[in-house]
Amino acid sequence: MEDEKGYRWETEYEKTWEAIHEDESGSLQASIDDIIHKAKRKRMLEKIGNIRLGMMRHLYLVIDMSETMSEQDLKPTRLHSTVKLLEHFVEEYFDQNPISQLGVLATRNKRAEKITELGGNPRRHINTLQGLKDRKCQGEPSLQNSLELAIQTLKHMPSHASREVLIILGSLTTCDPGDIDNTIQTLKDCNIRCSIIGLAAEISVCKKLCKQTQGKYNVILDESHYKYLLDQHISPPPATSNTASSLIKMGFPHHSLSNVNKEERPSMCMCHLDSKNNEGFSTVGYFCPQCKSKYCELPVECKACGLTLVSAPHLARSYHHLFPLDSFKEIPRTTLEDVEKLHCFSCLSQLKDINIYQCTQCMKMFCLDCDLFIHETLHSCPGCSSHRGTQHDRMDTT
Amino acid sequence: MAAAFTPRKLDCKDLHSYLKTLPSPVLDRLYNHPATCLAVFRELPDLGRQYVMRTLFVEQPVSQAVIGQWVNNKFINDHRYACKALTELRVWYEQPIPGGQPGWVLNQTFRNNTRVALLGGGKPWIGGRSTTVDKYAKDILFLDKYAQERWECVLHFMVGSSEGIEGVSRDIIEVLNNSGLMRVDATDPNPTITPAGFQFLLMDTASQVWYFMLQYLETVEHRGMDLVECLSFLFQLSFSTLGQDYTTDGMSESQLKFLQHLREFGLVYQRKRKSQRYYPTCLAINLASGLSNVSTGQEKTGFIIVETNYRVYAYTDSPLKIALLAIFCDMLYRFPTMVVCNLSRTSVREALIRGITAEQILNFLRSHAHPKMLADTPVLPPTITDQVRLWELERDRLKFNDGVLYSQFNSQADYELLSDYAKDLGVLVWENATKRVMVVTKSGHDDVKKFWKRQKNS
Amino acid sequence: MEELRNSSLLVIILDTNPIWWGQNITETGSSVCLSQCLNSLMVFANSHLMLSHYNKLAVIAAHTNKSCFLYPLPKPPTAGNTTTVNDNDTTEGGEENAVKIPQMGENDGKYELFTEFNENLKTEIKDLILNDRLVGELYSDSLVAGAMSMAMQLDIHRIEKEAPIGENVSSRILVIKGSEDNAAQYMNFMNAVFTAQKQNTVIDACILDNDSGLLQQACDITGGMYLKIPQISGLLQYLLWVFLPDPIMRPKLTLPPKVQVDYRAACFCHRNLIDVGYVCSVCLSIFCAFNPICSTCQTTFKFMGPPKILKKKSKKSAG
Repeated sequence: MEDEKGYRWETEYEKTWEAIHEDESGSLQASIDDIIHKAKRKRMLEKIGNIRLGMMRHLYLVIDMSETMSEQDLKPTRLHSTVKLLEHFVEEYFDQNPISQLGVLATRNKRAEKITELGGNPRRHINTLQGLKDRKCQGEPSLQNSLELAIQTLKHMPSHASREVLIILGSLTTCDPGDIDNTIQTLKDCNIRCSIIGLAAEISVCKKLCKQTQGKYNVILDESHYKYLLDQHISPPPATSNTASSLIKMGFPHHSLSNVNKEERPSMCMCHLDSKNNEGFSTVGYFCPQCKSKYCELPVECKACGLTLVSAPHLARSYHHLFPLDSFKEIPRTTLEDVEKLHCFSCLSQLKDINIYQCTQCMKMFCLDCDLFIHETLHSCPGCSSHRGTQHDRMDTT
Repeated sequence: MAAAFTPRKLDCKDLHSYLKTLPSPVLDRLYNHPATCLAVFRELPDLGRQYVMRTLFVEQPVSQAVIGQWVNNKFINDHRYACKALTELRVWYEQPIPGGQPGWVLNQTFRNNTRVALLGGGKPWIGGRSTTVDKYAKDILFLDKYAQERWECVLHFMVGSSEGIEGVSRDIIEVLNNSGLMRVDATDPNPTITPAGFQFLLMDTASQVWYFMLQYLETVEHRGMDLVECLSFLFQLSFSTLGQDYTTDGMSESQLKFLQHLREFGLVYQRKRKSQRYYPTCLAINLASGLSNVSTGQEKTGFIIVETNYRVYAYTDSPLKIALLAIFCDMLYRFPTMVVCNLSRTSVREALIRGITAEQILNFLRSHAHPKMLADTPVLPPTITDQVRLWELERDRLKFNDGVLYSQFNSQADYELLSDYAKDLGVLVWENATKRVMVVTKSGHDDVKKFWKRQKNS
Repeated sequence: MEELRNSSLLVIILDTNPIWWGQNITETGSSVCLSQCLNSLMVFANSHLMLSHYNKLAVIAAHTNKSCFLYPLPKPPTAGNTTTVNDNDTTEGGEENAVKIPQMGENDGKYELFTEFNENLKTEIKDLILNDRLVGELYSDSLVAGAMSMAMQLDIHRIEKEAPIGENVSSRILVIKGSEDNAAQYMNFMNAVFTAQKQNTVIDACILDNDSGLLQQACDITGGMYLKIPQISGLLQYLLWVFLPDPIMRPKLTLPPKVQVDYRAACFCHRNLIDVGYVCSVCLSIFCAFNPICSTCQTTFKFMGPPKILKKKSKKSAG
């Protein structure tokens, strides 16, 4: 699908079975294990450090709700499958990008509509996404209309933010009212990155759009590939050269609990102002240090004074993107002495896999599972952090 | 009336309900051994365990009001349940605190021995680990195989297959007969299996062993052995380490005898009868874990695959397992390493008639499910579970109530008088005015009879 | 319908910082030393194991220059496989040494699993202290973050590989700590906390001396208990009261109220805690005042002061 390779049918005949070899006993297990290993590590190795990342993301998800989305090539339908995967995506997105925002648009019947406003609350997005399942897929999508709608909001976002649009497109056609080239130009001027995940086949206009706005364009092979493509949009993208950098004023509010000051009166929080029930009416909450408005959740942008309110852990959650852990060195087990006595540093199990993974800093050995876990979830090496000499944060050494 | 149609459901008590049946002096004596304290402690409800831990180092009685405050008000029922369990097992008893308010104080024997189990500083456990290396040391694999073989002998004997019967001793047969799992008929010298026995077969191994041991313990005193000593030894066994050998030094006469019986059941391995060392097997050790939760079995790996089309594939060559499946399945094909059978209405009904419940059948299938099936939730296809339950419900369409028939009334007036009276009381079950007969519930019979006598006399 | 067996894995992280323990005795005149704390810990750990047959335990030491497992230890692979004799191969050959097996502790009525654990723990901690050649600078903080990363790894390993199907392992980490927070480990620490949150692992903290802002946050994020105990001599009672019940039990019990957590950030320039600060959009460094160049990543900032953002916001909300 990459440009250099040309079309798949033009490339050389792939002999997929040659990758599998029988061992002495005629079993395929060893070579299958090997393939699984490589696949597991592949994704990890793709990450590269030391680039400026757009950490504060403002992302609009555009969901195609046209007739084609009710097709059943993804089970049970394209739309159901999409919503299910997006739920996971939204959760992961906010986990990995805690100070970012997300909004959802839908396009059908040649129109585009806003499903949720840009916001930082994963629950709200997931709930509305689930509501989409029951809505009918109708007519044709409109690429231009949805892009214009996204531009309207995104162009007002501060210039240090990474502005992004991610389109899930099931249809092979689009119904646009004007010249889409103008829209692409506006997108470029506003520094908005557009990426598209196609559910059917490659479309020229999409390819052009993504290329011009520095986004990614992919077409899914099957459901697991779909998930993989979505996962690629979870980590923050490299910042584009014309993203401005700036110092952003942020507030770190106090969390007050009801039992601390008994004399304090309960108050209404700003996020539940419109709610009909008593939700949000209590003494507990986070108070904006600038204007003392109360919120039940962080991060949030203060509705009264516009200050971004975060807590220190929210910022800390993003640090691992900036200071990624170096990947471990892969060592074949047979080249080591005393293999019987080796055990994984962190899970204490005996190292039995073909390859052993070694941290280049502290020289501790790990098994594959732990290696994957360290790089995908933990983001810090247990070996390094448990020794005085190597414990120092990568943050301090830079 | 009803009892004759539905055979008694096999009642497998858990440790808690078993201990409740013991008289309190026996309980107090039981607590003399740290292992029993441990076993009883683990059997307590969650909250009860926390209470014991909190009061373990408090020597005076603790006010009941104070303990009540340890718990969140919403969970007051859990609290009551925990207190009841602790009292029933005589883990603690009521004693007023100095101010005169009611308080709880831990049973002194229980407190001391739990502390010993936790901290040490008491007498060594009976026997204890061997101090020398065994020349014929056995590994865990061997012990597992041994235990399984021994236990399967018992099961084989029950289903009447000829395999390994010579290993079944008189003691085992006696326990089986006493417990009603097997029955000696006048016609046949060999005992035959009872409906209860079939239910027993479908339980998982841990529950089987536990049920069997319960039955055995009831006969212990007839054999001239001391129940408390046997129980404490049994609990001690369940807290020992698999693959470790223990010595018989310091064991009492009845404990040695008990050990020999356990050896027959496969709960311990002893190389020779006179040998000074023994190895507990997984059957004995799982006894403690199986206790708290009778239904979970630690089977090796499952072998059964059930499909939604009522087909059952069993990857096994064990005649025992095939015999068990045949209790409620129609056998279709048999291959060297697998059998194929069908769950059908007739086959399941036959099992139901034998007194096996739908839940037992499903439980058997579930606990022996193939690892591939275990990966799904639910393990068994819902169509199968529902259908087997429906087949069971089918048999419950009739409900039997005891009643008394009134007939041969002299006049229509008499009949109407009595039937009206019974109607008013709400005890009339059925009446036929033309034949002048009526049926009254058993509980209403006395009132109606008295009324009739009064009427006749007046 | 299926009965799930609940087992609970408890990982205890013990702060063994020699400097803090030393100071604790000399400065505060407290009579409680490490060995007494260890005794309480062993009783507590035994109690945890006593609660259920399926409960599991691990102990990690957070020392001043390293953190390491105290229990369980990596199994030497020779234990089970090579010494066992096949049952049909009962040759007397290799077995001439009918020597006494070294007895594990005294046989004094303690459940042998507990004895084994206690003895192992004692030996390991003795090893740790005796072989501890403190060279060069001494630090008064312990490597808790390393210990926590190790705990998280063990946890995952247990859950994924060892738990049989149908067993529901809930795990938690208890940090018993006296020494100061280690600021240099902030990132490692927070990474471990976020991992714990993701894995539904609860972090509890039992603080012997210095309040720890980091652990307060960790407990709050993962829903654990944070307790600074008023006197160390009562350690065991506090452990049994507050930390013995597992998270599933806790809502049923009356436990100490949650503490106020300080979520303020410290600025990178002066390490002051601030209410309102400036964050670099490139590297997320936090500063207490506006300066034109980021001291961490050397980015030059376009001057767009807070008033501009404010104006835009107000305009938007008005329109």
